[in-house]
Amino acid sequence: MTVSPRMLRALEDLVGPAGLVVSPEGRLTYECDMHTFYKGAPDAVVLPESAEQAAAVVRLCRRERVPIVPRGSGTGLIGGAMAAAGGVMVSMNRMNRIVELDLPNRCATVQPGLINLWLSQATRERGYFFAPDPSSQMVSSIGGNASTNAGGPHCLKYGITVNHVLGLEVVTGAGELVRLGGKVQERPGYDLTGVMVGAEGTLGLVTGVIVRLTHVPEGVKTILASFSSIEDASEAVSAIIRAGIIPAALEMLDEVVIRAIEEGIHAGYPKGAGAVLLIELDGPAAEIEAQTGPIEAICRDHLALEIRVARTEAERALLWKGRKEAAGVFGRLTPNWLLQDAVVPRSKLPQIMKEVLAIAARHRLVIANVFHAGDGNLHPLICYDDRAPGELDRAKQANEELLAACLRLGGSVTGEHGVGLDKRGSLPMQFADADLAFMARLRRVFDPDGIMNPGKLLPAHPACGEGFRPATRPLPAGTWI
Amino acid sequence: MAVSVPAVHEALADLVGRAHCLREAAALAAYAVDGMAPSVVVRPGRPEEVSGVLALCAAERLAVMPRGAGTSVGLGNPPRRLDVVLELRRLGAVREYVPEDMVATVEAGATLDALSAHFGPQGQLLALDPPGGAARSVGGVLATHASGPLRFRYGTGRDLLLGVRFAQADGTLTWGGAKVVKSVTGYDVPKLLVGSLGTLGVIVEATLRLQPAAPARRSWRLGFPSRDAAGAFVAALLDSTIEPDRAALLDRAAQGRAGLEVDPLAVLLSIGSAAAAVEHQGQALARLAAGHGGRSEAVPEQAWAGLDAVVQGPILLRAAGEPRRLVHWTGEARTAAERAGVEPALLGQPGHGVLQIALGEGAEPGRVARDLIGPLRQALEAEGGSLVVERAPLELKKLCDVWGSIDTGTLAIMSRIKGEFDPAELLNPGRFVGGL
Repeated sequence: MTVSPRMLRALEDLVGPAGLVVSPEGRLTYECDMHTFYKGAPDAVVLPESAEQAAAVVRLCRRERVPIVPRGSGTGLIGGAMAAAGGVMVSMNRMNRIVELDLPNRCATVQPGLINLWLSQATRERGYFFAPDPSSQMVSSIGGNASTNAGGPHCLKYGITVNHVLGLEVVTGAGELVRLGGKVQERPGYDLTGVMVGAEGTLGLVTGVIVRLTHVPEGVKTILASFSSIEDASEAVSAIIRAGIIPAALEMLDEVVIRAIEEGIHAGYPKGAGAVLLIELDGPAAEIEAQTGPIEAICRDHLALEIRVARTEAERALLWKGRKEAAGVFGRLTPNWLLQDAVVPRSKLPQIMKEVLAIAARHRLVIANVFHAGDGNLHPLICYDDRAPGELDRAKQANEELLAACLRLGGSVTGEHGVGLDKRGSLPMQFADADLAFMARLRRVFDPDGIMNPGKLLPAHPACGEGFRPATRPLPAGTWI
Repeated sequence: MAVSVPAVHEALADLVGRAHCLREAAALAAYAVDGMAPSVVVRPGRPEEVSGVLALCAAERLAVMPRGAGTSVGLGNPPRRLDVVLELRRLGAVREYVPEDMVATVEAGATLDALSAHFGPQGQLLALDPPGGAARSVGGVLATHASGPLRFRYGTGRDLLLGVRFAQADGTLTWGGAKVVKSVTGYDVPKLLVGSLGTLGVIVEATLRLQPAAPARRSWRLGFPSRDAAGAFVAALLDSTIEPDRAALLDRAAQGRAGLEVDPLAVLLSIGSAAAAVEHQGQALARLAAGHGGRSEAVPEQAWAGLDAVVQGPILLRAAGEPRRLVHWTGEARTAAERAGVEPALLGQPGHGVLQIALGEGAEPGRVARDLIGPLRQALEAEGGSLVVERAPLELKKLCDVWGSIDTGTLAIMSRIKGEFDPAELLNPGRFVGGL
């Protein structure tokens, strides 16, 4: 327990009794994000209602040298929004309003707890949407999206969250409440907004976000192409990109994943295919028409079994529901699984998928795949049964080999999920000591006392060790990747 | 322990080679910035040499100015100190380029026109096109956060820089980001370097996202009889499903300088897409312009090169305000310039709220500072915007900070960052915001 009774009283004075959770059962709700390997309940959870309250909480924690863990909706997959070292969790759920829609400036000012999808729902009728669309978007918060620099299927065309954040209001670990960036899209000085996005709450607490809104395109077309093998589908992906076509989204689902989706959701994916590409084009109608032919030809050249276009908005929505909720229904097929988020250069997709199959065979494991193929951002789901002796070890081994293979091909440890506790040990595979030291120094500038989400994002001090505690259900039902 | 100046110069010459170490007064004069000449110019040919030069300069407490092609050294306050110019032109190679990845890793000194010649034959482009910037180095374009008409679709260096290798003030070669299009591993260090004017480190290598060149592309000039008409058209364009790839707003003087036909205000647009879509969207554009009293004419691709002439001249200012107010600011800028007794040429970025203000010869620095920069900056800053002096004679820089004022809370963080990574204040000292 790092939080004294005196401090609890001070916290209650700041946020009121309704904004403070201290009961053991209440705190249990906050003990992990969607990566349930990593558990750590906070000593207290505070739910501020304003930036000023949040700033006062940070200043109090700094004075008392108590760790702070920011939390949005807790849908992260990295052991980020959990209190590894106890302390105070600051949940932004009560700050969930749209503050201002400013369509002439094509932007919106929102509180960090606002649910991602609500913003698009509030603007779509007027012709706009918020482009970052992580699969969790019906639950995850925009503050959380900004803190993890979330991706999503459509970031292939539209870019990731940082490309859509114009400004932030943050409380730094030093207790400063500052506004960074804003509606004006250029300002002199260092791009602190860009540094803060994706910092996973280790530099400060996000209390407000100004985001770019994107105009709804004239048309959209969703194409489903099925293949007998994941290799053929991978070659088709590389060929589409090589042809200079950047679809809005280009997703791959393999046979195992399709089976899980169709048993759980009945989204209309063809059962029995080795792999399916979900290809979405959007933009001017004439452009979509012109790109459809070449895409279909490329798929046929790579031995597509079937090419089908979603005929209605309902059909399209169902395909996307299947894709976005695939991980949530995956528990039907396997008791446990590990999840990767590594990236390879796009041209290496066929090569890495061969490697994935070889690693699965070598370790006698099923590795299922549902991922953002157009970006080269893999999400292999390494299936295992915790009750079978040795399977977890084999799964972990496969996981390591896969990551190493991606980095050998010039890739990255994580494409959109982030580092958290889960991947911090892998950073030295991608960065030299000097690179990591630079980041650690940058962190100290914002958080001189090391109170902001300690232990996350950067490799632990060797003495701290790595926590890896398997649970019976590592990823819960209703997980989005 | 400090050694004598000639000994340091000898050591620098040993590092980069005698031929790439300039010490003669005549040669050095060409590298003067705001009237201050360096005592030596070094031109390293490899990233390791950049590292070695910086380590040596750090040990000897020498102030360093990184320099690319040298075309935009006017940006920044007058240097507080200047000992060594570190010129990166020899670092001009394309290090890695797999067209299928649409990513390239290039050295910082590579010029934009050299890179476009490299990627063009593969049907790809680097979407950085600051007006007058073809001869600029990519490192310089990134360090100054320069942008052009392609920003309309592809954003700026902030959006395109995926990974960066840079040498810190003490010479430590450091890498940030990744070589793939999507990565959130660690902090987004490339963002910190973009627009930092070399004050935190010297960019030696950049990994950049490329774009496919469109199969067809056409350009139009849309002329409008009044500011109101142009403003309404721009608002309608942004609120439409028309998807241009480049956009620029020009006033009369800018149109004249660019060699275009002249209307009170004009928008230059291009659409790149499949041929049928270009045709279709072009018709929609013409209809939209006509609906706002505008006339449209197709212009050749060379019309865009005309923008180079718009931003020439001894004084160039850069105003940034709310995007929806761009056309309003053209009016304010013209009024302020007339008050200062100069003729401005205005070049704007529709959708992004940036307006470059080029002033002709004969501008009187005192009046420009008092009647143009002062009031216009105050009005822009009141809405969260800024007015930056991109280029000006020293007399004008002495009369006003080139960056304007920065929020004190934000500046405090920036100062701590600078203090952490360049505690001895050796990289471009005094030239950046708030005297950093």
